[in-house]
Amino acid sequence: MANQLHVRLVTPDRVLVDSTADAIELPARNGYMEALFGHAPLLSELGAGEVRTHGGHAGEQRYFVSWGFVEVLPDRVTILAETALKPEEINATEAHQELERGEKLWSEAGDDAEKYEEANHVIEEAEAKLASASSRS
Amino acid sequence: MANVLDLRRRIRSVKNTRQITKAMKMVAAARLRRAQEKALSSRPYAMMMTSVLQSLRRRVDAVDPETGQMHPLLVTRPEKNILLVVISGEGGFAGAFNANIVKAANTFIAGHKDAQVDIQAIGRKGRDVLRRRYPAAQFTDSARQEGRHRAAPVELLDDHHHGILHQLNFERASGLAHEITSLYAHEKIDAAYVVYNEFKSVIQQRVVVERVLPILEIGEREVALTQEMTQEERERAGEAAISSGVSLSEAEAEAGAKQAEEEARRFGTAEVDYIYEQDPGELFNALLPRYVATQLYHAMLESVAAEFAARMTAMDSATNNASELIDSLTLAMNRVRQAAITKELIEIVSGAAAL
Repeated sequence: MANQLHVRLVTPDRVLVDSTADAIELPARNGYMEALFGHAPLLSELGAGEVRTHGGHAGEQRYFVSWGFVEVLPDRVTILAETALKPEEINATEAHQELERGEKLWSEAGDDAEKYEEANHVIEEAEAKLASASSRS
Repeated sequence: MANVLDLRRRIRSVKNTRQITKAMKMVAAARLRRAQEKALSSRPYAMMMTSVLQSLRRRVDAVDPETGQMHPLLVTRPEKNILLVVISGEGGFAGAFNANIVKAANTFIAGHKDAQVDIQAIGRKGRDVLRRRYPAAQFTDSARQEGRHRAAPVELLDDHHHGILHQLNFERASGLAHEITSLYAHEKIDAAYVVYNEFKSVIQQRVVVERVLPILEIGEREVALTQEMTQEERERAGEAAISSGVSLSEAEAEAGAKQAEEEARRFGTAEVDYIYEQDPGELFNALLPRYVATQLYHAMLESVAAEFAARMTAMDSATNNASELIDSLTLAMNRVRQAAITKELIEIVSGAAAL
């Protein structure tokens, strides 16, 4: 069908989604954004969050993405994700443990800016994971 | 001369061995197929990563405009401290697989006499051999790898990546890559190389030493040392593959992947002006460490596939040898039995004749 985006979600292990959609929501580093057909070409890094597709063959689908990279072209969206999980695949207890680990790292980081960053990263990822898992409908 | 009973016992024992080797061969073949699939399905990601980095590299200066410094992973320094990642197998019974890897690692070390080499061994077999040969690195604070006390020019780093090849996933590979890149960024090492067994197909493998850091040219692989399979090995591997039903060429599997790869190659390289959501330089910095991770992951995937291929070949040879041994033992046993019968007959006949 015309005027639909070709969406691909690729992880190091497999190609998760290869389908079409009307719209796609992306967790860009600086906040969520939505891409529709005819979007201007764009490259962006993705933070931890959810990728959502709407309409088209893909239908309503949600994937949790920890870190990724996206290329938006007028008719095509390609997402490179380090890990991508369906909400039901998320292990909530593990995510909780991760969050605790992140908080521990954060409190131990001291003056080291790099460690702070790493700790923040872990916390951010775990929180996004939990949010994604709890909003399961 | 051995008696029939002894020979029969030998045959039974060899038969048992043959059964084991045959089972191992089949298991290796099945796991090889899975490893091949995994390696194949990781390709689109790696290709996309490479092409987007290449196109970014063309558009963006890797030099930070504020400080005028290159990205730390692109800086080259004289190679005084080298990290050598040795990817070997987790198990034995794989012919010369592990020995070849260790040999390549030793050749590399011998060729860098004036440098200090740290070895990070991935895979149990290589680690065990290297541990006997090189001393372990000493740290006063071993948990954080600080307070290094260097005793020998070549030392083995403490390994906390046990079993990474058993349950190979990208997360663990990128954990390792993260360690390496941070060592490099802090100038603890001046170069990082990987020794692993490259796997194109069952009959196309070679041991390579590849440089992963510093990154000089994205998408180009820098191979420092290779060791090809011999013709004989190749033939053996081919026979083994046929007898266990593994396809020799990648042709069938490739066909589907080709198109995806073509598309992957175009990823992020369209001749349009992209809107960069972030600063392109920032994107570049975020992508470079991941590029190293994909390279390492790729090396490990190939090494795992190669290990199973080597095991399959070795076990096929063992099965054939066992069959041959059984044949010759059976022949010997029949001879002995016949000789005994003949002897008894002669005794009876000559006994009767004497009457």
